[in-house]
Order: sequence, then structure tokens, then C-alpha cells
Amino acid sequence: MKKLLIFFSLIILATLQLSWPSALTVFNIKPDLLLIFAVSSVFYFNFKVALAAAIFAGLLKDAFLPSGAAINTLLFSIWSYLTFRLSSQISTENNYIRLAIVLILALLNNAVLGIQSLNSGNFIPVGIFLRNLLISSLYTGAVSPLIFKLNRKLSA
Amino acid sequence: MFKLSRKTITSLLLIACLVLLVSIFSPFFKNSAQKTFKPHLSLIGLLKRECAGIIFYHRNMLDLGRLKYETEVLRRKLFDLREVEQENLRLKNLLSFKQKSPFRLVAARVIARSPDSWSSSVTIDRGRYSGIRRGMAVINTMGLLGRVVESSETISKVLLINDPSQGVSSIVQRSRQEGLVNGSLGSNLIMRYLPDDAQIMIGDIIITSELSQVYPKGLLIGKVVNIGKEFSGLSRYAVIKPAADLSSIEEVLVIIP
Repeated sequence: MKKLLIFFSLIILATLQLSWPSALTVFNIKPDLLLIFAVSSVFYFNFKVALAAAIFAGLLKDAFLPSGAAINTLLFSIWSYLTFRLSSQISTENNYIRLAIVLILALLNNAVLGIQSLNSGNFIPVGIFLRNLLISSLYTGAVSPLIFKLNRKLSA
Repeated sequence: MFKLSRKTITSLLLIACLVLLVSIFSPFFKNSAQKTFKPHLSLIGLLKRECAGIIFYHRNMLDLGRLKYETEVLRRKLFDLREVEQENLRLKNLLSFKQKSPFRLVAARVIARSPDSWSSSVTIDRGRYSGIRRGMAVINTMGLLGRVVESSETISKVLLINDPSQGVSSIVQRSRQEGLVNGSLGSNLIMRYLPDDAQIMIGDIIITSELSQVYPKGLLIGKVVNIGKEFSGLSRYAVIKPAADLSSIEEVLVIIP
């Protein structure tokens, strides 16, 4: 039942991310709800469930991207694993620590995607690169407490 | 017959004098009486109003609630009507454009946008069943939007021209100067590989060139808003403002070759 709820939550979050209202965009940037869910699942569920959620979230995101490579599936799995390893080293009970982890991973995720885009020969102006890297990560971090609440309710 | 006694006449005269006196002094009486009674009457009036207010408060409160609800419903209806009006206008434009256009076009609606900030794409509600195939050009009434990069039975993915991986072979309409228009993820496009002596100026119209394998020749891309020199100093670039507003596309037309 819980797994089914996680599945439906991911579908709803993906739908929300794909049709994010333009009134809620900041400099044309929207938060990465699927990344937040993938990372925060580690805090609330066991690792297997969290990893499955991360893979499914990555697949959902990749399904709507123009490039064929499943880079988000790979990255979300890596972030999920790293968060799991980190949570065994430090206490991740505090919401601020969780928020910081999401923020750092959002920065890393955006940096990897941006560098990969530049590496494949695309021209991205510095201003737009920084906008995508910083504002997107900050917005993702700012929205994360709401997804934490959702995950907490799902895990209860 | 009309003979009155002295006593009666005296009485009548007395009454007349009394009436006269009263009528002379009545304004003073009236004024003082009004002055005396005013506070009481005001107080009673106030109390009556307040009592009536308290008695009818609940009814007024219910009325207010009902009116607020009605206002909200009407406001929503007005909003819906405005939305329908705008949609009607857009669809009318699309239809007239479709009828005038020399291309075979399939109209589609945008159902989703790119889930991340590192690419610029939209998903449309038409796919292979409607004759849409990978590589087809996508436009709207304003100009070029992009090309289909993936198509399933019922939906297709369109890579917009402001995606950095998108390159459109284009020319300046006035001077026929050739260049390559690239996306930059921002609201503007960049026309690159322009020679130092390129015949291009601010305000020039940029259209697709016949060298393009994907796009039909002559599709409007946008207008030059700025010209600069590349970092290498070997060539120049032009900043193009797309004719179509890429951030708020709702309906598109796919060109079927």
C-alpha cells in the first residue's frame, strides 16, 4: 500500500513539475520536485524503497526530456546512494540538515547537467548557466520542506 | 334666536384669549419641548436602530455571504469567459493562418513543458496517428518554434529553437547573409558564424534558409536586437529576439512535408 502511495505521489509530482504554473516560476525556473522526493525518500523509507523511488523519479524526468540518455535516472540513483551513505555517518534527523543536503545535491545535479550540456557542444551564456545552477538549486531547496512533509505522511 | 347670555360671551372670550396666548407662546414651548425630548428620542432611536440591527444581523450576515458567493461565481465566470475569448481568438488566428499557409499543417496543443532548466522542449498532444514524424518543423502564427524530436502514437516531443542543442540554418531577409541560429536557454537566440563584414544590422528580420534540411525556407525566426564580436575576434554574432514567445506557447502547428 505504501509503495503504491509513493508511486502515485511520484506521478503527481511529475505532473506538477511538467505543468508548473508560470506564475510560480522564478526567472523562468521551476523547482526539481522529483529530485527532492528522490533524495528525501532516503530519510523516511528504507534504502531499497528509496532507491526504487529515485530510479522511478529519474525515469519519469528523463521520459519528458528531449535527450535520449537516461542521465537523471543515473544521477538520482547516485544521489540516493550518497545520501544513504551520508545518513549513516551523520545525523539527518534535523530538517535543516535535510534541507542542506537537498540544496547541495540540487547544486551538484544542476552542475552535472550543465557541464554535460556544455560538453556536448552546446553554447550556454554564463549568466544563464549561473541562473540555472543557482536559482534552480535555491528554489528546489526552498520547496523541499513541503516534499519532506509529504514523505513524512507517506512513511507514517 | 342668537341671543347669548353675558356669561357665555365671557367664557367664549376667555377661551379665545387662551387660544391666542397658546398660539403666541407655542413656538417657545415647541422649541423647549423638542430640546428637552431630543436626547431621549435620539437615545430611543439609537436603541431601536441597534435592536433592529441586532435582530436583522443574522439575516444581513447570510445575505452578505450569499452576495459574496455570487460575486465569486460571477468573477470566476468572467475569468472563464475571458479565457474562452482568448482561446477563441488564438484558434481563429491559427485557423486563418492554416488556411492561408502553403504548407500542410496539423494543429496541436502543448500539454507539458520541459521538466528541467537545461533544455527547452514541450510535449504536444498529437503523434504518429496524426501524421507527425520525427524531424518535422513546428511553428505557430508568430513564427518558427522548433522541430519534433520524438513522436509516439498520440504525443510528440518538440525541441524548441531556444534549446542550446538546436541549430537552425538561417539568412537575413534583407541582405541574404547566412548564419546559424542557436538557442541559449534564454529568451533570445544567437546567430553565429557571421563574417566580420556581414551585412546585418539591428532590426533585420531573420528567416530560415534553404540550406536547412529540417525547416522549409522562409519561416520567420525573429528580429536582430544586438550585434557583437565573438570572443575569438574572427567572427561576429547577432542576438535574435524570437518572433514567437517561446515561454508561453499553448497551440502549435506541425508542418507535414
